[in-house]
Amino acid sequence: MENTHNNQSCIEAGILDNALVMIAVLGERGQVVSWNHAAETITGYLQKDIIGSNSVWKHLYPDRDYRKSVTEKIADILKTKNYFEDLETTIRTRSGESRTILWNTKTITDHGLPRVITVGMDVTTDRQETAFRESIIDNAYVLLAVLGPKGTILVWNKAAEMITGYSNGEVIGKNDIWKKLYPDTEYRRSITLKIAKIISEHNYFENLETTIVTKNNEKRIISWNTRQTRTRGIYHEIAIGRDITEQRKAEEALIAYMTEMTMRLKQPVGIINNTLMESARLVKEGMLTTDEIIMVLQGQARNAAQIESNIREFQTAIVEKNLSIPEAYRKFLEG
Amino acid sequence: MPEIIDPKELDEKKIFLILASPGTIRQRNIEIIKEISALGYHTVVITTNFPYSVLTKLYAQGGVSPDSVSFIDAVTRNSIGNAENIPGIVRFINNPANLTDMGIAVTEVLKDHQGKKICIMFDSVSTLLIYLSSANISKFIHFVTNKLRLLDVSGIFLAVEKSLDPMLMTQLTTFVDTVVDTG
Repeated sequence: MENTHNNQSCIEAGILDNALVMIAVLGERGQVVSWNHAAETITGYLQKDIIGSNSVWKHLYPDRDYRKSVTEKIADILKTKNYFEDLETTIRTRSGESRTILWNTKTITDHGLPRVITVGMDVTTDRQETAFRESIIDNAYVLLAVLGPKGTILVWNKAAEMITGYSNGEVIGKNDIWKKLYPDTEYRRSITLKIAKIISEHNYFENLETTIVTKNNEKRIISWNTRQTRTRGIYHEIAIGRDITEQRKAEEALIAYMTEMTMRLKQPVGIINNTLMESARLVKEGMLTTDEIIMVLQGQARNAAQIESNIREFQTAIVEKNLSIPEAYRKFLEG
Repeated sequence: MPEIIDPKELDEKKIFLILASPGTIRQRNIEIIKEISALGYHTVVITTNFPYSVLTKLYAQGGVSPDSVSFIDAVTRNSIGNAENIPGIVRFINNPANLTDMGIAVTEVLKDHQGKKICIMFDSVSTLLIYLSSANISKFIHFVTNKLRLLDVSGIFLAVEKSLDPMLMTQLTTFVDTVVDTG
């Protein structure tokens, strides 16, 4: 019987010591009764230095104000229950590093003595990754929205706030943002139908262009791409929207300019041609004086010079307006 | 040959945009002047391509009475530097791009012919494209058409067909009452 009890204790001690989470058993006055290997690894404080003492908490929370706030938080929780779950704090390790720990406690009685088992999971890497992900989402230069079941918005990044004018608080947890972005019932219906058709065929859509109305009543053209993800059996839609309003405006301006310049180059050349042909006929018929011939020729030479100047202006404008022109062509156009 | 300008519309002081092919635009110009001269109208031709002296000869060759036409000439001074206005026959402006001078000339000519049956003919919108952007041309034609309507004078704008981009064409169409495509 004694052997069985000893074996059991050994097994428990082995589990405690080899656990991947920090486990500390505390006595009635907060003194450390047990401190496992993971606790040593995470905090840098060795079992032999802290067993029997409650001073380790001052080391783990060296900032007095922060320590006070953690103590108050724990006291608040313990007013209503004798344990706490998922309490997140940041400790300072012996080597001066900060680690984020997720705490869970349980009160037990061991050989008639009250004990608090404190389990601390080091979530530093998780939190850093989450912060990194959130930072990427927030700093992305595209509108990023994650939709849960029933279209509820779960993520609405900073670009989404900037483009639409609707803040995170107005959107998260709701599904009415689309009505706000597409206030025209007919247009919203046409977009919904289009999306439904694409989704039924492909499960996602790419480069779907729609025009949204922002909170400031401005119209913006958004190019949408979506992907579906599945996390723990729940499907989420990730919608990425690129604001292409300025690009479209620039394209339209370029097309308008090219059309204008085509008109201003093609037509005048025809006019010069016709004028010279007509003048030639009049000269042949002896109808024009020398002065008149000179006047006509000078006039057409001036027109030709103006057309040349228009072509130069056109080349420059095209180069300035379209940076995607390859370097060799750009140099040619720049003359 | 059916008439290009409807006499009834002319009497109603309507404003026309006449489109013609590059090869026939001069001929249309002469035909229109003959038509409206026969209706007792005096035509003020704003010329931006041929000097008035050459146009006078072309009109004479086409059978147009010299008394029925006068000119605002935007070509001659640009070539020979200096040319004196000839009252009742021609007013010179320095160059086709000087829309301010052209506007003033139109206003003064209309004043000179107040009370008479007069028609302004602009030859041509297409030539102006060499010197001016369509936005400026549009503004100028808007100004001229407004002036014509205020003074109850009819006007004719000549342009080469298919030479105007859709935007400018739409704008001009809204400024005038009738568009005639003579082919």
